[in-house]
Amino acid sequence: MTAVLTPISSRRRATDRAARGVTLALTLLALVPLFLILYFLLKEGLGAFSMSFFTTDPTGRFLGNAGGIRSAIVGTVIIVGLATVIAVPLGIGVALYLVEYGKQSRFANAVRYFIDVMTGVPSVMFGLFIYIVLVVAQIDGTFAAWKGAIALSLLMLPVVARSSEVVLNLIPNALRESALALGAPRWRMIFRVVLPTALPGLVTGSMLAIARAAGETAPLLFTVAFVNGLSANVGQRMNSLPIQIFNDVSQAQDRLVQRAWGAALTLVLMILFVSLIARLVQRRSRLQP
Amino acid sequence: MGIQNEEGRTLRLQRFSAAAVVCSSLAIGVAACGSSNDSSSTTDSASAQKGGTLNGAGATFPAPIYSEWAARFKDKQGTTINYQAVGSGGGIAQFTAGTVDFGATDSAMKDEEIAAAKSKGVPVHVPTVLGAVTVSYNVNGIEKGLKLDGATVADIFLGKVTSWNDKAIAALNSGLTLPSTKIAVCHRSDESGTTKNFTQFLAAYSKAWDKGPGVDKSVKWPTGTGAKGNDGVAACVKQTDGAVGYVEQAYALQNNFTTASVKNKEGNFVAPTLPATSAAGGAATPPEDLRFSTIDGPGADTYPIAAVTFLLVYQDVCKAGLDEKKAGLLKDWLNYALGDGQAVARELQYAKLPDSIKTMAQAKVDGLQCNGTAIAG
Amino acid sequence: MSTPARGTLPRASGPRLADPILQGVLAAIAASVLLLIGFFFVKLILESEPAFEHTGVVDFVFSNNWVPSRGQYGALPLVFGTLLTSALALVIGVPVAVASALYITELAPRRVRGPLTLLVELLAAVPSVVYGLWGIFFLAPKLLGAEKWFSSTFHFIPFVGGSPAIPNYFVASLILAIMIIPIVSAISREVMSTVPRDHKEAALALGATRWEMIRIAVLPYSRAGISGAAMLGLGRAIGETIAVTIVIGNAAVIGDTVFSQGYTLAAVIANEFGEAASDPVHRASLIAAGLLLFILTLVVNLVARYSVTRAESAGARKVPVGMAG
Repeated sequence: MTAVLTPISSRRRATDRAARGVTLALTLLALVPLFLILYFLLKEGLGAFSMSFFTTDPTGRFLGNAGGIRSAIVGTVIIVGLATVIAVPLGIGVALYLVEYGKQSRFANAVRYFIDVMTGVPSVMFGLFIYIVLVVAQIDGTFAAWKGAIALSLLMLPVVARSSEVVLNLIPNALRESALALGAPRWRMIFRVVLPTALPGLVTGSMLAIARAAGETAPLLFTVAFVNGLSANVGQRMNSLPIQIFNDVSQAQDRLVQRAWGAALTLVLMILFVSLIARLVQRRSRLQP
Repeated sequence: MGIQNEEGRTLRLQRFSAAAVVCSSLAIGVAACGSSNDSSSTTDSASAQKGGTLNGAGATFPAPIYSEWAARFKDKQGTTINYQAVGSGGGIAQFTAGTVDFGATDSAMKDEEIAAAKSKGVPVHVPTVLGAVTVSYNVNGIEKGLKLDGATVADIFLGKVTSWNDKAIAALNSGLTLPSTKIAVCHRSDESGTTKNFTQFLAAYSKAWDKGPGVDKSVKWPTGTGAKGNDGVAACVKQTDGAVGYVEQAYALQNNFTTASVKNKEGNFVAPTLPATSAAGGAATPPEDLRFSTIDGPGADTYPIAAVTFLLVYQDVCKAGLDEKKAGLLKDWLNYALGDGQAVARELQYAKLPDSIKTMAQAKVDGLQCNGTAIAG
Repeated sequence: MSTPARGTLPRASGPRLADPILQGVLAAIAASVLLLIGFFFVKLILESEPAFEHTGVVDFVFSNNWVPSRGQYGALPLVFGTLLTSALALVIGVPVAVASALYITELAPRRVRGPLTLLVELLAAVPSVVYGLWGIFFLAPKLLGAEKWFSSTFHFIPFVGGSPAIPNYFVASLILAIMIIPIVSAISREVMSTVPRDHKEAALALGATRWEMIRIAVLPYSRAGISGAAMLGLGRAIGETIAVTIVIGNAAVIGDTVFSQGYTLAAVIANEFGEAASDPVHRASLIAAGLLLFILTLVVNLVARYSVTRAESAGARKVPVGMAG
């Protein structure tokens, strides 16, 4: 750093320009696949869209009308909904424990550590795990929607717990202390002060977990299997968008690939919708990380 | 948006999903919610509607005809057949593990596979239709059917014959001008009855094949691209110039593949056609347990890689885990396959069973039991 | 959940037991998560036992023959495929991700930073199966020509040459690279934003150009964090299943070139679990493959987390790694 007050040499200027150019080029390069995928999703996916695409189920027929994706949409909503019902209370519960009670105790740190470990577990492992303990062991039948929901909830749980912990930590201690000083017991302080204040952040974290789970294929492949028809029975096999796409891709027939694009666009739109809500809620939150 | 579920009840989507969430929060693990396809009591238009669902998994070879049957069977008696085409290996495995109500394979279970299924009972093989394993190719410049014999096909799949104008191919096709395109082999990557049947044919005409990769549902391929299912191989052939693969006839027709005429036992080159496949069935003499194969069968007009395909059920379906209602539905499904289904077969270029074999198969179905007594229905 | 508290809180009216009950319930939930993970581990180890008994631990990992129909379970081709594709994905994806993070945090005009961040994050909203769909029907066929040219021109490079297959290691690596860009970029951005302003301003005050400022202030400071981000990306790539299954070709052999078909640990599990339903050794072998995968991701993630946490505790803010994905 000898260059104090000496004019910047042209070589250094050129290096600077080149480096800026390269980083910009690489940034744009990262966006090329995004635009290509979006382009194909819109081009091929919109081509598949029609009224009957959303109002009929896949027929499974080898020739002729392949049918739509109604049962897949309904199945994804049910399975992910059930997974949310399982994962969100548990995840927030864990976070509450860590922040309000466990703090830096050895047990709390162990829980934190293992939740971190869980975040890194590949989703296929959760599918395999549920496949072994619930499907092969034939607990209440074999493949079933609720088993897929549990596999997804295992995936969501650490995401919800981690993000909730961060949000709960953002709440100023003064708020807690003033509630306690007013004579409120701890549980009341948690339900009347902590949770309401953290609510938008908790919702955002949960929505992001939902967005992540909705696109997962591997955990469902092992646990829910595949059917064509519409079903709302969580004790049975169920269709879902990711599995529908996966099946159509592997069959490689033009009309099925077309449906796969349509289903993919639908799935991406659903995920974007959930992510968008998460962002809007986050924006309205008073606690900004 | 009003949607109709399987029983014909109309639900409002909003209420439906709300109900599903409420329901699911109450009933984790309990199949208590909106049981749409297990209740046969709902009102239906046709009187013969039985409803219910059967889950099956197995071979991709007959998947086209099974899915067609499933659609018509559903129209006929309202029963949903969920057939997952996962390959014969997967079909036998899931059948043995009891994760499906019926299995499907196009190579009969081996003795050790039957032994492995013992805890559930005695597996019964119900042959359904015959189909042709075509040698399909996608080569610019060869529009007409090539003639190939077993030894040459084996050499292609061994990687010894590497271009389409190789001497071995030219010798069988005098008069055709062959391009010098490189051969790209497409084969199955999953455990497949189609592979077993195809390799059985290759091994019959090639010592090198017999000693090398051998005959099995999956083998160690010396060359080529692997793909899952008949559909996967079809996609592989379709995407690659110079590709050759083995797929069931329906897949070849669907993709407009050119298929080779293959030299049979009598020395005639026979194209994979419905009569040539039927001829293979007519020449077969199955044993009592119906575990038979029609590969490399006798007869002047017989297509040599014609294969029979089976549905798998347990002799006592209830002891194997099905309830009485499902047992009845399963019997209906098998009766359909051997009855009305046979006439549907030709629409997708499958050959129906010869009468003698059909009679034997029907006897097996009639003999199925539920907890020791014949299944009503 | 109730509405936010207004005004003063009423005096404690609930029973005295409420506090210990809530604490107990929350502790039980936390403990059950620990137990669940413990059970997950133990179950995997117990269930994979028959595989190691049948094949032996060393042979399972290091022998090159995965032929389930003959009862041979040597997972080397799978391990090889997993390591090759994820390493290649890292080589391709990390520079792009880090460059985009640098550009967004240090170089881009302020008003495009938000939109650029959003776009890079959009990559994470695309599900794995959709990457697979796009990979096999668009990317792989389109790349074939370039791959053919490359392998005939640069056939002297090891692992290059021969005739490329449509699905292959390289296509899988490319898809994985795209999939890890958002997470690596996001964490890199977080780490870079913790670089103290003083350092950057000091560099600029000394007359450094922007790029020199990045080199002397930003990169050294965030190096540990960036390598942690890369490791987290590696963890993702190793465990990615469906997209890879669709574009890698699923051949259980060690390919001759990067344009050959291969297999990965995750893909073999997805493909063969159905066939393994009734064969205890096959099933155990798949679970053992899963265990191997788990150990790989665990080691990678722990290293990653250690670097990221260290880098971040040096900074002012603490960023949850879990949220970045």
